[in-house]
Amino acid sequence: MHQEDIDFSDFIASSIHDMKNSLNIQVGFLEELMEECRGKIGEPMLSQLGHTIYEVSRMNVNLIQILSLYKLGKSIYPIDIAEQSVNEVLKEVVLQNQTAMGYKGITASVVCDEDCYWYFDRDLVTGVLVNALNNAYNYTKDKILIVANVRDGMLEVRVEDNGEGYPEEMLQESIAVKKGVSFASGSTGLGLYFSSRVAGMHKNAGKHGYLSIENGGTYNGGCFVLRLP
Amino acid sequence: MATSLKQSTVLVVDDFPSMRTMMLGFLKTMGVTATDNVGNAKEALALLAKKQYDIVICDYNLGHGKNGQQIFEEAKYKNHIGYSTIWVMVTAEKTMDMFMGAAETKPDDYLLKPVTVTLLEGRLNKLIERKKLLEPIEKAVKSKDYIRAIALCDEQLKVHSQNTQELLRIKGDLLMTVGDYPAAKTFFESVLAVRSLPWAKTGLGAVHFMTKDFFHAKEIFQEVLEENKMYLEAADWLAKSLDALGDTEQAQGVLAKAMELSPLASGRQKSLADVALKNGALDLAQSSYEKAIKLGEHSIHKSSNTYAGLAKVLTAKDNPAEALKVLGRSKEEFKDDHEAALQAAVIEGMAYHKMGEPEKAEEALAVAEGLMRAQPRNINVTTTMEMANVLFELGHKDKACGLLEGVVKNNHENTDILNMVEAAFEEAGIGEEGSELIKKTSQEVVDINNQGVVLANEGKFEEGIKLMKKALQTAPDNDQMITNLCGMMIGLMTKNGKDDRMIFEVREHLDRVRKLNPLNTKYNTLTNALSKLSSPPSA
Repeated sequence: MHQEDIDFSDFIASSIHDMKNSLNIQVGFLEELMEECRGKIGEPMLSQLGHTIYEVSRMNVNLIQILSLYKLGKSIYPIDIAEQSVNEVLKEVVLQNQTAMGYKGITASVVCDEDCYWYFDRDLVTGVLVNALNNAYNYTKDKILIVANVRDGMLEVRVEDNGEGYPEEMLQESIAVKKGVSFASGSTGLGLYFSSRVAGMHKNAGKHGYLSIENGGTYNGGCFVLRLP
Repeated sequence: MATSLKQSTVLVVDDFPSMRTMMLGFLKTMGVTATDNVGNAKEALALLAKKQYDIVICDYNLGHGKNGQQIFEEAKYKNHIGYSTIWVMVTAEKTMDMFMGAAETKPDDYLLKPVTVTLLEGRLNKLIERKKLLEPIEKAVKSKDYIRAIALCDEQLKVHSQNTQELLRIKGDLLMTVGDYPAAKTFFESVLAVRSLPWAKTGLGAVHFMTKDFFHAKEIFQEVLEENKMYLEAADWLAKSLDALGDTEQAQGVLAKAMELSPLASGRQKSLADVALKNGALDLAQSSYEKAIKLGEHSIHKSSNTYAGLAKVLTAKDNPAEALKVLGRSKEEFKDDHEAALQAAVIEGMAYHKMGEPEKAEEALAVAEGLMRAQPRNINVTTTMEMANVLFELGHKDKACGLLEGVVKNNHENTDILNMVEAAFEEAGIGEEGSELIKKTSQEVVDINNQGVVLANEGKFEEGIKLMKKALQTAPDNDQMITNLCGMMIGLMTKNGKDDRMIFEVREHLDRVRKLNPLNTKYNTLTNALSKLSSPPSA
């Protein structure tokens, strides 16, 4: 391959790939370590460990999103829109984040019919929901509820928390998300940008998916809403 | 088959020792005690050959050599693992190249890293459940009783479940396998009425393709790609449709674009090479064949056709010496492969002829003739035609005509092939004589078939079977003759009672018919009749 043929973004992508491997090993061992330490070390230390795991998995989530966006941009992401058991996917997302949430005493529960099935790319939507959980985790007091049902031919998944709700400027930002986010704005915006890309890619019968954030819901806190056609 | 996770035997394949340790730790937490772990493909395949595993957890990217998919395919191909083995591929990221294989070479699940113990346990338990439910269907497919397999799918599809999507896909595949195109069409349309799904739309396109409505097929595959440009299976079909419509230039473009999206697909790389060769784009054909050979290096799908193609390009590029080298490599790689040997011998003949060495060309062709005599079934029509062309050029008119006569006998109703034969005669300057030969030979086949029908109508099945079997000695690939034979064997069993050995023989014959001519109109009726005959009598 000629030197000039290499795109800089290819380097970023391959480095991310490499970093992800390291992180995967870290997460695995930290979780094992936490199990080992339970009951042997004091609560504050255990809590620190939990927070470390949370930070590592947050990094991993970011890297996955960048990598997925890179591939979506180059049209080399193998999108696989297939029928999924919504209940199962949501429960899996919660399970995946159990350790990190447990340490902070947050309980997350799922409200979804057993026979609720919908069409989407499982890994991409899981990415969106993990991101939403991570956000809710920052804003909530101690509860997160994921509610899903089919309404007007769209699947609606709501991630609700019992925190103070989104600050006003974030609610404003969500309008920008719909128009397309610019990386220039203060916070990275990566999570929302990724999520809105994924939502928009899900199309059916002339409609496409979208997301919104609002305050209210079951706990009168912050709500992240994903709608898929 | 694993009945519970705790009792399962599990193999872990990963090149990172720390990853293996972690995975084994997970398994221990789940209460799994029977585990093995290896760090590379070679050790994995050695263990899989020796020992039966219920679950294999395999990393996709294993550094140099074979990747996880290639281990999986090889283990499956060599029967080291059965359909009951659960294969889970672990990967750091999803890539297009991982999703290229056919349905039967797809692992049971993909897990994206980081894998946590709860995630793994949940997925493995689900997979064990799913295997149990799908077991009867897979068993029916294994014993080639597709009709029963479809009925079993329908049974399970009565209730909507986690497996519905998978069952629908299996049913679609089965309807295509048995060649029941009207039913397949209705089926795919009913799935599409609910939602436009790429696999169902591609299935519908495939129905049009198989029933030779290439124009509609093309339009449907184009639609699939417009809606989902990453669904490259549709690109393969689109290229095939364009090729069938004679638009080989556009077919080449479609495949070249697909290769950019998924650069490791060796099969598609070869298709691109084939169409480039057709278009006379010799440089692209050469580089594509070379790439395809390299990509297929570690795969059980590596094919002698790729080497043959490269040798043909090199001969066409006036470099027959290099072509001979490639053929030498092919012979080395595919030692006991009859088709490879035959192909190599024929192209050697072409190359030596081009080099102006008629004696060596003759020698090569004599080898080819010997191979054809030793194994007259399933001989590739293209190879035969190529051989006839060289024979004409070397002045062996009789031998060439004999070969072409054989092609006509095997394909007396296939107008595409008959046109190719006619063109070969014309090229050799004996167009009229050739047309006469084609007509006469076709008539002979028709007469024998008619004779068979008369015997069958008179209930003289044994006599008919004898007649057909004799005729098949000189026309072993004639699908119509084979179906007539099958009809008589079924007739005989209906009269005298069923015979397990004969049922098996008919099933084998019908399988060949399906491969020889997917459009054979009697195939379905016969398969159904056989299915009825072989199922246990109701009380």
